Amino acid sequence: MILEEVVQFLQEVPPFQFLDDETLRGVASSVFIEFFPKGAVILSQEGPASDFLRIVKKGGVKVYVRSGDDEEVIIDYRSEGDAFGFLSLVSGDKSRANVTAVEDTICYSIDKKTITSLLDSKPAFTEFFLKSFLSKYIDRTFTEMHSKSLLYGGGDRQLFTTHVGDLAARDVETAPPDITIREAAERMSMRRISSLVITGEDGVPAGIVTDRDLRDKVVAKARSVDDRISSIMSVSLIKVEARDYCFEALLKMIRYNIHHLLVVQEGRLKGVVTNHDLMMLQGTSPISLAREIEGQQSIDGLIPASKKINKMITLLLKEGATANNITRIISEINDRMVRKILEMTEKKHGKPPLPYCWIVFGSEGRKEQTFKTDQDNAIIYADPPTDSAGAAADAYFERFTADVNDALVRCGFPPCPGGYMASNQKWRRPLRIWKQYFADWIHTPTPEAILASVILFDFRALHGDTGLADELWEYLGVTLKDQDIFLKYMANLTISVRPPLGFFKTFVVEKSGEHKDKLNLKFKCIAPLLNIVRLYSLEKGVTETSTLDRIDALRAIHRTVAEFGDEFAQAFEFITLLRIHHQFDQIELGKEPDNFIDPEALTNLEKKALKEVCQLISRTQDSIAKQYNPGMTM
Amino acid sequence: MDLKIVSPVRFLRRIAAGRSKNKGQTNPRPELLDMPVEEARYVVFDTELTGLKPKKDSIVSIGAVKMAGGRIEAGNAYYRLVEPRTELTGRSIVIHGIMPSEVAQWPDIDTLLPEFVDFCGDSVLVGHVVSIDLAFLNQEVKRILGAPLINPAVDTFALYRWLRNREDNICAYYDGTAENAALYALAERYHISVGSAHNALSDAYVTAQLFQRFLALLPGLGIRTVRDLLRIAVP
Repeated sequence: MILEEVVQFLQEVPPFQFLDDETLRGVASSVFIEFFPKGAVILSQEGPASDFLRIVKKGGVKVYVRSGDDEEVIIDYRSEGDAFGFLSLVSGDKSRANVTAVEDTICYSIDKKTITSLLDSKPAFTEFFLKSFLSKYIDRTFTEMHSKSLLYGGGDRQLFTTHVGDLAARDVETAPPDITIREAAERMSMRRISSLVITGEDGVPAGIVTDRDLRDKVVAKARSVDDRISSIMSVSLIKVEARDYCFEALLKMIRYNIHHLLVVQEGRLKGVVTNHDLMMLQGTSPISLAREIEGQQSIDGLIPASKKINKMITLLLKEGATANNITRIISEINDRMVRKILEMTEKKHGKPPLPYCWIVFGSEGRKEQTFKTDQDNAIIYADPPTDSAGAAADAYFERFTADVNDALVRCGFPPCPGGYMASNQKWRRPLRIWKQYFADWIHTPTPEAILASVILFDFRALHGDTGLADELWEYLGVTLKDQDIFLKYMANLTISVRPPLGFFKTFVVEKSGEHKDKLNLKFKCIAPLLNIVRLYSLEKGVTETSTLDRIDALRAIHRTVAEFGDEFAQAFEFITLLRIHHQFDQIELGKEPDNFIDPEALTNLEKKALKEVCQLISRTQDSIAKQYNPGMTM
Repeated sequence: MDLKIVSPVRFLRRIAAGRSKNKGQTNPRPELLDMPVEEARYVVFDTELTGLKPKKDSIVSIGAVKMAGGRIEAGNAYYRLVEPRTELTGRSIVIHGIMPSEVAQWPDIDTLLPEFVDFCGDSVLVGHVVSIDLAFLNQEVKRILGAPLINPAVDTFALYRWLRNREDNICAYYDGTAENAALYALAERYHISVGSAHNALSDAYVTAQLFQRFLALLPGLGIRTVRDLLRIAVP
């Protein structure tokens, strides 16, 4: 009866569902059912290795690390059907992250012996766990080597299609076992290699010495460098066959906690493969994409690179990157693309007659782009000294912007349906006209003016003379001072769309039409939250544009944000990630990405989090209503 | 003068403890008593009976699950139907849905008991209102093996009451027993799903999950060893 319950559950959980009935029953009978009350620490960073692979049966856990300055960085939430503790279990290495129950949680826990025997006998099982956990391992080794770079690398497909033999360094450095440690180290540093294979007289490998051995067994132990190398070499040679796929090599590295593997073919040494080699196999990393964009000479050359952006996002998602990092990386790549196009177009049309600044707004301005990003851009150029200079500038920028907007479309940025593009004469203006726009909107807040403000007041400089954008921001700050009427209109807009939570805390969904029973995440949740944060920023003259940066800037100066800053930031992070995952799933299915999610398809943990986000928005809207509209009719 | 009231089961156990020495058996090992509660081994069990009077009634089924500390072992359950030594009454037929004609095919308690005692090993026994189950069980164990079980036993009902009185709740002090402490009521309170099957094994499993939740609370309340646990959860 208990066993049946476990079997039934595991039958729904990948990769256990791929196991045959007999194996599955065997696994189920080794399961321990554990209970962790809310708040219980299940694994702790740097703590002992995990004894179990734990699958969440009910409840949910939070996986997080503490950074150097004791900041909590959440890696992931795992809920029903998700597993944790795999890497630490197979490697026997200390746990890499903290895992805490976020609600009362029941886990089905499987011990190391059972998992190891599955890894040895069931390739499909092995592949699944490697795919879901190994990118994180790669990420870790990558960060170790390159300190902290935002544009970290990723990708795993090639690990499953490349043979180890194709990757292994061929000219393996070997040495006899009777040389001294000093001689071995000299050879290694002279040849710039991190490992040395020790072979016997018959040429058969007898052991291996790596940088780590020199560090751990010689320097740390103050051993004499005149000892024989054979005294410190690792004799239990872990080998992989040249015909094995790279992921098998990686699995061995994780299991034995080593960074070098001997590659053998028909029993003879063929080469050495290192974790560095496996990492370099990663193709579509943001860094390589950025380099590819930099290297292009023509718009046509940029088009293939632009097509890789979605693939890159896919990989970032698989690596468990946070929403904030994903959107920032997308923005970084898109910015480079736009800059490159601007530079190319400048070359084509010659030096602009007046300094200009290319500004972007909307999600691009906030650095919150996801998969599908319309163009939202404009040009501010320096005030022309004469009318004729003005006419010349207008003519130049008309040609210039037409080409740029066209190139952007070809590189996958669709035109803005509202016409907020630099090629539209209205948004291609000298600084003084821009100031006039802003002043008009603020002093005469018509509905159109408010709409334009919501879009434009997220602007940031992307290319050119950023001083022009700075001056406009400064002007905006001064003009907004004491403009209570304008802020009141912004406040009305902010509270006009309520989050989709009904009286009984159920989600309010579309009642009919194409998106029946779904909710529009962007319109009902993301936009209201953005509007709240923008309103607060305008109140306090904050010039940051990205929502998280605005929240950070507001913490010290805005009462509500000082109190609820963390909640706002987490809420924003959560709904952004929800949206990215939703759009990713649609793209995987070959659909056009949209913002309509089915709340019933969410896990319990996600539902709960989304409800909390809605409540936070709703409460904040109430307080804004009280602040701005005591007795005012809307 | 100080009159101590001793429950019949505890009384029996004392006698048993004294007698078992004569038989060459040992009391609960001191190392077991000093063991942290999260490391001890438990057998959580339940029995179904033909009625509640040990003299007249007998065991119809035994269900048990093993726990290693707070971990329930999914693959290590015990469930046996027993041919009752006494007649099935109409009442127990209604409760258990067991027909007299079925039971004749089941093994009798004399065959099963050694196997169950073996299953228990030297684990701590756990049950909900366990004194009744223990009384029936020990009656058989004594008859068949000559001496009652010497395993220490923990009552989840007593444990629940103790925990209730630790809660910072004035009502708890006022009357800790007023609310419904039946197994399924407690299961609901602790969000344990009871499923549809109601037999000795499913009830043992529910009890085990209840015990699991209680175990998680104990370290925070200063209950660390099996000895501490036995002190607060006497059947």
